[in-house]
Amino acid sequence: MNVANGEISREIGDINLAYMLLAQKLVKQDRVAAMFRLGVSRELADMLANMSLAQIVKLAASNFLLCSFRLDEHASMSAVVGEGKDTMLQQAHMSILMSARNLQGQKEAATV
Amino acid sequence: MSTKSVLGEVREVQLAIQLIHLGARLQFLEAEVGLSRERLIRLYKEIKGVSPPKGLLPFSTDWYMTWLANIHSSMFYNMYQFMKTHSDEEKVWVLIKSYKLYLQQIEAQESEPILDFTRAYTMVRFFDSDMLQLSTCCRCAGQFVAHAHDHKSGYVCVLCRPPSRAGKARGSKRAAGGEISVPGMESIGLAVEAALDGGGLH
Ligand SMILES: [Zn+2]
Repeated sequence: MNVANGEISREIGDINLAYMLLAQKLVKQDRVAAMFRLGVSRELADMLANMSLAQIVKLAASNFLLCSFRLDEHASMSAVVGEGKDTMLQQAHMSILMSARNLQGQKEAATV
Repeated sequence: MSTKSVLGEVREVQLAIQLIHLGARLQFLEAEVGLSRERLIRLYKEIKGVSPPKGLLPFSTDWYMTWLANIHSSMFYNMYQFMKTHSDEEKVWVLIKSYKLYLQQIEAQESEPILDFTRAYTMVRFFDSDMLQLSTCCRCAGQFVAHAHDHKSGYVCVLCRPPSRAGKARGSKRAAGGEISVPGMESIGLAVEAALDGGGLH
């Protein structure tokens, strides 16, 4: 592995760790509000809340980013980003689109 | 509703305090909290330092259709719906929670809340009594507050097709901006005159 790749891995690991810690903090503060902000199901939220720091650190040290794009359709993405929209409108639009999203982890839970 | 237990009463008082802090009108306090009118007024005075305002604003569903109001209403109602689906709490607490979430969101955007608590509460009632609905925008797939029974196909939301003047006027932090009815918005729905008292508040 060359130097640049090692660097990228470390950056991914840093983001993963920051993301997991923030997610856990949110869930512990207020589960439903956290589900709203993170876009995760109740099962996933509970799991996050109960993870130990060791588990989080282990999971974070990965080559894969643990958080993914939530504006996962091109149409929504371009609608929100679109032609020089001002920040307030962009945030409002994002909030409306995000609230209606399916929660991560919910589909799997429902089909099991 | 009357509450006999001390704990039950504590809960009612806490509920009233939350509602008063958020700016709920006395009428709504009476409808949602199982305390006497006198106690509610005393609580109100203690918290706000003044007597509760008299009279109820005559709201119509049209307010929710004006440009900025529609954006804020849609933001709030999407949050409310999320909270209602995923939280186990009583309806009034869901309302409180989602309204606080709305305020947080607005604060993060560094803008002013356009939807006050009373209007949020009234909107939920309008939805419950089938006077408002969510329509899906055919461009961004977002769900926006609309008059009930509007044709749903080909609907484009206020954010995907803002009225021409809106882009400039709204930059300033004037809350009054939300009250301005932007020309062209009438197309969103037929103007249904819907005063609160006709709309099944209870
Ligand atoms: Zn749209």
